[in-house]
Parts: sequence; structure tokens; C-alpha cells
Amino acid sequence: MPKITLDKKYLMGLVGKVSEKKLTEQLNKLGMEVEELGTESIMLEVSANRPDLLGAVGVARAVKNYMHRSERFRYDKEMEESGTSVSVGRKVGKVYPFISAIIARGDSIGNDALKDIIDFTEKLTATYGRERRRLAIGLHDLKAVKLPLYYDAYKDSEFVPLNEKKDMKYSEILEKLDIGIAYSSIIENGRNGYPALRDSEGTMALIPVINSERTKVSPETSEIFVDMTGTSKYLVEKAADLIAAMFMDLEWKVEKVGIVYGERIETFPKMEKKELYIPLLDIEEELGVKLGFNNALSLANKMGYDAAYIEGKVRFIVPQYRLDIIDWQDVMEDMAIAYGYDYIAPLVVPAVGMGKIEERSVRFEKLSGIMVGMGFSESMNSYLTNESYNFDNMLVKKRTDYVKLKDPKASSLTMMRTWLLPSLLRCIGLSVHEKMPQRLFELDMAFRVESEKPVEEYHIAAVETDSKANFNKIKAVVESIAYMLGLKFEIKKLEHESFIPGRCAGIYMNGANIGFFGELHPQVMSNFGVEEPSVAAEIVLGS
Amino acid sequence: MHRYELAVLKAVESRSATIEEIAEKAGISMDAVLWAVEGLKKEGLVEVTKVESEKAEISSEGARYTSEGLPEERLLGRIVSSKVKVGSLNDEERIGLQWAKKKGYLTIESGVLKITAKGKDAGKMKDPDREALESLKENGGEIAELGKGSEQQISNLKARKLISVKKKEIVAEVSITGKGLKKLKETGEDESIRSLDKGMITKGTWKGRKFSEYDVEVDVDREEVAVRHPLRNLMNEIRAAYLGLGFSEVSGPIIEPAFRVFDALFMPQDHPARDVQDTFYLKHPSSIPIADKEYMERVKKEHTSAWKQEWSEAEAERAVLRTHATSVSGRYVNEVAKGLKNGKDYQFPLKLFSIGRVFRNENIDYKHLTDYYNIDGIIIGKRLMLSHLFSTMIDFFGAMGIEVKFKPAYFPFVEPGVEMYGYSEVANEWIEIGGSGILRSQVTGIDRKSVNVLAWGIGMERILLMKKGNIESITELYGNSIGWLRKARL
Repeated sequence: MPKITLDKKYLMGLVGKVSEKKLTEQLNKLGMEVEELGTESIMLEVSANRPDLLGAVGVARAVKNYMHRSERFRYDKEMEESGTSVSVGRKVGKVYPFISAIIARGDSIGNDALKDIIDFTEKLTATYGRERRRLAIGLHDLKAVKLPLYYDAYKDSEFVPLNEKKDMKYSEILEKLDIGIAYSSIIENGRNGYPALRDSEGTMALIPVINSERTKVSPETSEIFVDMTGTSKYLVEKAADLIAAMFMDLEWKVEKVGIVYGERIETFPKMEKKELYIPLLDIEEELGVKLGFNNALSLANKMGYDAAYIEGKVRFIVPQYRLDIIDWQDVMEDMAIAYGYDYIAPLVVPAVGMGKIEERSVRFEKLSGIMVGMGFSESMNSYLTNESYNFDNMLVKKRTDYVKLKDPKASSLTMMRTWLLPSLLRCIGLSVHEKMPQRLFELDMAFRVESEKPVEEYHIAAVETDSKANFNKIKAVVESIAYMLGLKFEIKKLEHESFIPGRCAGIYMNGANIGFFGELHPQVMSNFGVEEPSVAAEIVLGS
Repeated sequence: MHRYELAVLKAVESRSATIEEIAEKAGISMDAVLWAVEGLKKEGLVEVTKVESEKAEISSEGARYTSEGLPEERLLGRIVSSKVKVGSLNDEERIGLQWAKKKGYLTIESGVLKITAKGKDAGKMKDPDREALESLKENGGEIAELGKGSEQQISNLKARKLISVKKKEIVAEVSITGKGLKKLKETGEDESIRSLDKGMITKGTWKGRKFSEYDVEVDVDREEVAVRHPLRNLMNEIRAAYLGLGFSEVSGPIIEPAFRVFDALFMPQDHPARDVQDTFYLKHPSSIPIADKEYMERVKKEHTSAWKQEWSEAEAERAVLRTHATSVSGRYVNEVAKGLKNGKDYQFPLKLFSIGRVFRNENIDYKHLTDYYNIDGIIIGKRLMLSHLFSTMIDFFGAMGIEVKFKPAYFPFVEPGVEMYGYSEVANEWIEIGGSGILRSQVTGIDRKSVNVLAWGIGMERILLMKKGNIESITELYGNSIGWLRKARL
């Protein structure tokens, strides 16, 4: 879940007339955990599906709604056309295809709001925009922009990037500036052209990387041009709504901008509303409370919905800044949050019949009991290992029928174990200073690949390390397992690299080899740092 | 003869041995051996040969005592001539009291010091400790010159910080004397029973004989207990709790196509949790085909309509190690959805749980593991609500001895979503222990108004850390050194 840090004074100013305690309480009720409350800042953990809550304006809006203080219909106001448009060229379609834009006018934006808006767009494009792979947002001082505007993929060209002093080539930016290096892969280093927003004076932004110094927004700016670009048409459209709603909350006037694709024109923000009708009874049954429609409407309002009661149903108008509402189920969650999880009374689920443990669990518990009875302690190990543990240390030849991991963070984990003995020997190797005899067993999974399909099987393995450990001792253990489980094992001579030649046997059932045991090879022991003679057994139990 | 003395005699019967060797052979503590050797030596049954000498340095306090006498000697002198109360003693006399008591020279009766018979005898001659101290002063600290039988004195003087010994180890060898061998033979025919044997019981020869008494307060080494793994114990506790609530156990594959772990649970294909940074993808086999094409088509439709992006079958077929065990729940829910479609009759509610290993692509250090256990549960039923979910979770965690509370949270596969916190008495705070909610109809494929599904996932290690204060880090659990297992007591 994303964490955001907001200017506390700014946020409280936006909410208006609220104590710190009350604010924290409201935020918690809304599911925004206050992680840190500093003297100047407040850190919140917000839900990963709520891009509208990634900035102070959205958070303040949610709190005000919750406290019944907000003007819910402000986003429906008639919007003027700015008369400004962006012509989209044909080459950008392959690189970073979509664009939307809005214009916002007001008093000078000021330090606090500007910082918050920039933080918000950064957070939005990093999370929802998947590190700008899907969405990028740029702000420009409209007074510095010389119309008309163009968006296309261009050949290498130059401009002064934000906070730089000299002209730089697009390619140079991607190679030299940190921000260029970070995002160059999204546009494949300009292989199919460099997406750029341009006015008649030159480049306004190399997209999705950096804006120009020339159109930089300052705290004094009072007319802002915002461009939303990306690879997701839906996100580019909805981001325009989000940003428009934000400026409206700041009492700025938002104007529409046309996006021209040859003959076709689309204007943004669209500010389309979604309507959902949910029967009151359904809401009551989901919450388990007899609400009545007045309460239902009040709860809906608290979450920012414009709600009305129409013929037994509640009509929810989903505000334009909500990107997360897929269907009625999402609305239901909002109603539960508004009602308060703390007020939902527990209700026992009636029982039908008895519970049952898996047959396998019962069997394995019995086997584990037998092992403990013979003095073996249970060990539980990672299923992940590497070739040198799984094969080399055990002196067995590397096979190919095992499960290999892709891009593991820990270089020591490259595969899934094919057997359990290496895991047990690692444990024994860590225990050289402990009292003898040392007896360990593990009953768990091992993995292999058969005809390109993964096979997950349970094995049981046991090791005894002691100066007196010998072949007969481990044979007795194996025989006892068979006896206690009522199985018939056939024991035959077997060559296995991990064991001393001539001191290893195979275990067979109905003619099939299911395991082996014997005295471990001294080289195996020294590979694992085990210092005393050891005997071991491993049996495949199946899936 | 005392049991220890007999044990020591037997231990040196065939060849001489050091105190340590005897302790191991006889299976008694070193102190017990020293004590027994002391007695045997007095009776001339064994001989002690010192192998190495040691040099003692006398402290200023020690030097003073050689002329003034030990505090206990002076104290004894005082008691003989007058009645002395404990309360009247000065600091040095209190030290004397301590040692005189230890040596059995006096006892305290209602606050008054009383000299014992042993004390009276001792009063007639020099205290052995003081004698040793004086000898050391004369011979320049040569401990070896004190001769056999001075070990107790040396150790007393050391303990009292009257001397410090330069070379630390005394290696003394105990060997049996002729008299000792004879005694050992005789003792075999002694009247009192030391260890009971089969013959005595079946033939009743114990009747009318005495049993020799043991020192029941002697320290023994603990048995090395073979134990189950702490995680397995917890797992069984969890199974019992679920069983009590009427749940049945299920399980599913560890290696899955991404489809089962992510897509079927409505996680968009570019969801950050699917990143290689968090998830283990496989190089071999790199993909697992999705067999149920009908299921796949439904999921594909849900994704494209809700997430407004292309849905790739290849991405969904990539093989992964499951990152949560909700994939198991998903499998069962899908099975029921199909059953319902085919007109199968179910006795709702169905209550299922699974305990299974899940994986995260992490760098392993003291705080991070790659393997974890998830406890997952679902209830499939009619008109299930958050109230039912909360009640079930309160009951489950209640059975585990954990108080629980709920907060709104977002998980793509549930709506409403709930984050669960448990109160840890060990950490004295609320700790996040799992997520839960009501499965979206996009996941279940069932009209939610007819049948819906409560689902939850809980981190099992979290429960252990919460309940047990003696685990420092989660990685301990998979360390498994024998010493840890033997001492874990979890």
C-alpha cells in the first residue's frame, strides 16, 4: 500500500476547522492509517486502488465528505472550452500513444499547493502509472506556452530541460540525466522517435521524462496547462478527470482542451459519471443492519456519492475522481466503511456437519510420531536450494529434471530441492558442538519435473550422527517404519554416490524403488561440515 | 559405603583415571567424584597422584590471617568462652560464621551460635585451611608441596580470595589401592540393596533387606528430548482450532501458473505484486498450460472489462511459486461454481481451510525468508456478510489466544476488504496478521446474491512471533540446528 507524506498545516487548512485528533480519527475510519504524525508533516498509508487519495486535496475531500462538509456537486459545473487544442501526429502511436490535457486558471498557485500537486502527480504516475509505463503527467505555465500545440514522436532535437541551464539533445537527456536513465526504456531510447509535446517555440516536454525549463510552473503561476500522456487510454482519460477535480477543489476554473487526431477531435476532461442502482435490501443484507433509506443516503454521502432513493433502490452517482469503482461491490465496501467496521456486530455462521482433517495429514502425523518415538527430532527447511547443495555436496551427478528459479534475489537460491537429505545434513553441520547422538528427520516436499510438468512429492528423510552410528542402526529405523505402518519393504543392494560403496541399500515396494539408506560417504560429511559418522535414509511417500 | 564412593571405586577398578574421566564413566558430577575420592582416600582405598603443580599468590588478607588466624577460628574461640548471638557479630566474624557453618563447626539455634562436636575437635588444632595458608607462605606458594589431600583447602582459600592460583588446571589421577580392591569385592556381598534387578523382583530376594539411600538432591543432566518442530506444533494447534469450528482441510499445488495465483484472483497483469521483485517465476518449467479454457475465458473477460487493458494468456501461463495460499481457496471456489452451474446440490455453508507454504523472492537475512506458511480459509454459503467473517475470525483467533480487530483495506479479489490485526502481548501492540473479505463475483463466477464466499489469509509465522517471546527473528524457525530445536520449547 502506498505511503504518502503531506504538509500537515496545508491539509488541515484544506479540511478547515478540524483538530489534529479529530483528523486522525476520521482518517483511520476511512481506512487511511496515520503512520506518523510529525510537527509539520503527516504520513498516511492509503489504499492501493485509490489514486484520488495520493495528495492532500483528495485526502481533504474524503475527510470533508465523511464529515458532511463537502459540496458534492461541484464537479458537475458547466465547463468552458478553452479553445486550445493539441494536434497529435501519427508517429507517436507506436511509442506512447495517448494524450489528454486540461487548462486551469485561478489565483497564483502558491508554494504549498504547487508542492502538493507535484508530489501527487509523481505518486500517481509511479503507482497507478506503473513508474510512468502507463501514465505520465506534466504541468506547464500557460503564459509561457506559444500556441499551437503538437504531440508526436520526433527525431532527436534539443531544448533546456527543467532545472538545467543549457540546451540538451533528447538522446543526451536519456543518457546523462538520472531521470532520463530511469525512464529511457519506456520509449525504447527513442528507437521509434522521441515522444514530445511542442509549441511554436519548441519542445515543452520530452515525454514521459522531463518538461522544459521554459514552461516551468512557479508558485506565482496562475494559468496552468496539464498534459496527461500514456499507453493506457483509460488512465489518460481518467487522470484528466482526477486533475480537473483537484483544481476545482482548489477553487480554480477548469477549461476543456481539444485533442485533434486528424479529422477527429476529443475534448478533456470528460467528467463522465457512472450511475449504479442498488436495492436498499441488498445493502442492508450485506451490512447485516436494518438501515432505512435515510441512513443509507447519509452513508453514501459520507463517501462522496450523490445518492437518491428511487423506487426501493439507492441510486449512487460515482464521483468523477473515483477510478476504482468497477461495480456495485465496490460501492458496498464504501457503505461498510461509512457504517464503520467497528459497528458491525459478529454473527456466527451456522454449522453444517463436521470438519475433517486431510487423510494425508493424519497419515503423516502418525509417521512423525513414530520418528519422534525413535528419538528423531523434526526439522523444517526451505524448499529452495542450489545445485551445489543439492547435487555437488552429495556427490551425485547433476540432473536436468528439476525445477529452476528465474531471477532469484538471493544468489544462493537457484532451484527447488529434489530431496531432503541435503537439508538435514546442513542442519547437522550447524550442530557440531551439540551433544551426540544427533537424530533429525523431515517429512515434507521435494520437487522434480516430468515431461515438462512440475511434480510435487512428499518424502521422509532421517539422519543419525554419532560415533556409534552404523548401517544396521539405520536399517533398523527403516524396518521399524515399515513395521509400524504395516508396509512390506524389500531391501536390496544399491549403488548411490552419497553413500560408502557397499554400505547402501535400496528400498523397494512392489518392485519399484522408493528410497534408500546407508552409511554416508565421508566426503559428503566433510562437505557439510559434519564431523562424526552419519547414517541416513530417504523414502518417497508420493503426492 | 556411599553410592558415589562405590561408583568411583568401580570406575578406577581396572585403571587409574582423572576426576573428569571418573565423572564421565560413573555418570556423576565432578563435585560428587571429588567428594567421594576425599572419603575413599581417608580410608586408604584410593591414592591420588598429582600431575601438575600450581603456584599460589597470597593476598594481603591471606597474609594477615596467617598471623591472626582465620575468622572462623577466632569465632570458635569466642563461642567456647561465651554465649554469642548472630546479631552481635561484626563483618569479619560474619565471614567466619559462614565458613564455620560450612565446615560443620557450629550451628545456630534461636539466634545463638552453638559449637558442634566437630567444632570442638577442630578447636583443638589448627584449621586445615590456615595450615595450608601458612605452608604456602613458607614454601613460596608451591601448591604441590602441600601433599595429597590439600585440594579442598586450596579451593577454599581460592574461593575466599586469600590466594590466587597462577596455573589453573589441577590434573590429579586417582588409582585404586589393594585395600580398595578388597573393599570393592566385599561390598559386592553387602547386605543393603543398591540397584534392584530382575532376579530380586521375580524371586523376591529383596524381602527383608534394606535399600541403600540415594542423595536425591544431586544434579543430573537433562534427557535430550526428541521434539516436533515448533511450526508443526503450531500447525496442529491451528488444525484443531479449525476443526473445532467445523472446517475441513484442503490443499493445492505449490507450483502454479500465474493464472491461479493472480489472474483468477482478479489481480491485473501489471499489478506490482506480480513483479519479479516479489514473485519467484520459474526458468524450468517456464510455463504451465491452463487446462480449463472455459474458466480462462471468463477470467479474461472480467479482466479486460474491469482493468481496461489487454489480457495475455502467455503471461497467465507463466509458472510461479505461489505467493499466497488463496490460490487453493480459488480452486475450490471454482469447483463449486462449476458444480452449481451443473445443478449439483451443496449443503451450505462449506467451510474449508488450508495450511501451506508460500514464497517471496527475497534476499535472505535475519529478518527475511523466502518460505512462509499461509493459513487460508473460506466459507461458501448463502447471504454471508462481514458480520459472519468477523465472527469466524474472532472465534478462530480466540481459539489461538489472540484478540483481533478489523480495518478497511484493499485487496483486488475481495470487496469489502478487511485487514486483520492481532494484539501481541509480547510486543504490546497490534500487529497485522492477515487479510480477509468477501470474494468479488469476478473471482467466484457466482452471482453474489445467491452464493457468496468469505475468504481470508493469515501469516502463520506472525502468530508464532506474537505468541512466543523467545523468538528473536523469524529466520530462527528455519535454522534448525539441533541445539535450537532442543532448547526452543515452543
